[in-house]
Amino acid sequence: MTLLVLRKELLELRRSPVLLLSMASLPATVVIVPIALLAWVMHAAPEQALAFVTDVYGGQSIGAVLARNWLPMFLVLPIFLPILLAAQSIGGERERRTLEPLLATPASTLSIILGKSIAALVPAVLITWIAAALFCAGIDAVIGHSLLPDEAWLFGTLVLSPLLALFGNAMAVVVSSRVLDPRAAQNLAATTVLPLLGLLVVQLAGRIALGPRFYVVLALGVAFADVALVFVAVRLFDRERLLTKWR
Amino acid sequence: MAAIEVEGLTKSFGGRVACRDVTFSVGKGEIFGLLGPNGAGKTTTLRMLAGLYAPDAGTAVVAGIRIPGGPELRRRVGLLTEQPGFYDRLTARENLKYFADLEGSRRDRVQALLDRFALAEHADRPFAELSRGMKQKLAIARALVHEPEVIFLDEPTVGLDPEATREVRSVIAELSAEHATIILCTHHLDEVERLCSRAAFIAQRVVAVHEIRREDLLRIDLAAPFAPDGVRAMCKSLRSSGTSLFIEPLAQVPDIVAALVAAGARIEAVAPHRDPLEEAWLSLLADAREQGLTA
Ligand SMILES: Nc1ncnc2c1ncn2[C@@H]1O[C@H](COP(=O)(O)OP(=O)(O)OP(=O)(O)O)[C@@H](O)[C@H]1O
Ligand SMILES: [Mg+2]
Repeated sequence: MTLLVLRKELLELRRSPVLLLSMASLPATVVIVPIALLAWVMHAAPEQALAFVTDVYGGQSIGAVLARNWLPMFLVLPIFLPILLAAQSIGGERERRTLEPLLATPASTLSIILGKSIAALVPAVLITWIAAALFCAGIDAVIGHSLLPDEAWLFGTLVLSPLLALFGNAMAVVVSSRVLDPRAAQNLAATTVLPLLGLLVVQLAGRIALGPRFYVVLALGVAFADVALVFVAVRLFDRERLLTKWR
Repeated sequence: MAAIEVEGLTKSFGGRVACRDVTFSVGKGEIFGLLGPNGAGKTTTLRMLAGLYAPDAGTAVVAGIRIPGGPELRRRVGLLTEQPGFYDRLTARENLKYFADLEGSRRDRVQALLDRFALAEHADRPFAELSRGMKQKLAIARALVHEPEVIFLDEPTVGLDPEATREVRSVIAELSAEHATIILCTHHLDEVERLCSRAAFIAQRVVAVHEIRREDLLRIDLAAPFAPDGVRAMCKSLRSSGTSLFIEPLAQVPDIVAALVAAGARIEAVAPHRDPLEEAWLSLLADAREQGLTA
């Protein structure tokens, strides 16, 4: 059952150019803008300016500063992408009146949620990984030597990203089982991304240096939140309520 | 034993009663009509019977399972929903296949149903591009794809052209001949007259269950009220109402007329008479209004 739901979701996704485009545009921006910016700065900025940055950041080159501090953007991506997909796929069923016939089949709530979740998680994580690989390759090409991926990067993209994708997805499932307009559900779930965006800003301001310890704690925290959220999501997915309440 | 036994089903939405104390039973292989004005609670009743809503009060046993039931009830029941919801970007075939797989249907069912409803030609077009009638036929095919024992059809012929309407009606008759039990919600009284053996009239609650007679009656209008005892032996049934007699004839019509005339009746008109569900419906509706049961 789960597999059937998953296969149908992916088929639908493949046929939705607008959704695919909106899924691709965010990672594309996250990859291209900093690389272009760095390339431009390294070619056009005066020597003293570059030396000034190196000075402020305690001896790191501007390339290294940018590369290391951009990681949180690749943590925002895997939260955001599944929200986009999951809210759409649950809310969309209701909007297109497919929810009633779907709930009238023997498919269990769990397999419907699982199928939809995997269909949101797999593309989200893949896109994040592709974007991260392109980013690392691009940065290395611009600064002319191999800097990325370093340990923090590998840990962030390989371990944290999937956990965060799970978090974003569970959040979207919870919200769209209760909030009935898919766009509202997307927005509400997306607000969970804000704390991480805040983190990025704080970090770029140089206030706190985020070491490996921080990321390990983050990973454990996120994993714990995931388990709790998935549990809540299945409990909250109330078949009758989904069918009857329209606001 | 009845295939569907409904006892006192009650459901309200936020203080607004959708249906109250709905009670009826449907025999195995029977086609049972569910009639009622808009907002009478027909769709709500079907959804409860299909295990989608839990009733606030009352019980029902459908195909041997007490509602709201679980996956097993949903496997035994086929539901044609009020709106034919499918995925716009998938083709007709992909849509039907998806639901067939979720129901665990036999492999050849999808193609067989596409053929049965003359949809094969359009099967590989996206659902969004189909005409309204094709969408409706696809939805009916979905309700039947897993060969359910009990079938709920919520307004099956809405939006169909006359040919497709006939096709669908003949499919319904065939299904019942194959011993499927069917509840048919419709606003077409002639559909009920043609297909159903009985129909419940509902306006929040079941107001009356009406036996549908298929045989034509003979209506004889007389100049004055008359005791027709002399012809009783020539009739399967005989009812007199004012100056009219309604007869289910056993003998030839001219013989009955001759017998009546010989007994002294003064006949003004003789005509075939179909059991008028419409009259029953209108009078039940008027009663329901008086009792404040309609919206
Ligand atoms: N999800 C819901 N939320 C609130 N009220 C509802 C809901 N579903 C149905 N109702 C109300 O319950 C009543 C019965 O509705 P239902 O759809 O069962 O009627 P129906 O007999 O199928 O009508 P129609 O002939 O128009 O299809 C109506 O007053 C309707 O407004
Ligand atoms: Mg209805």
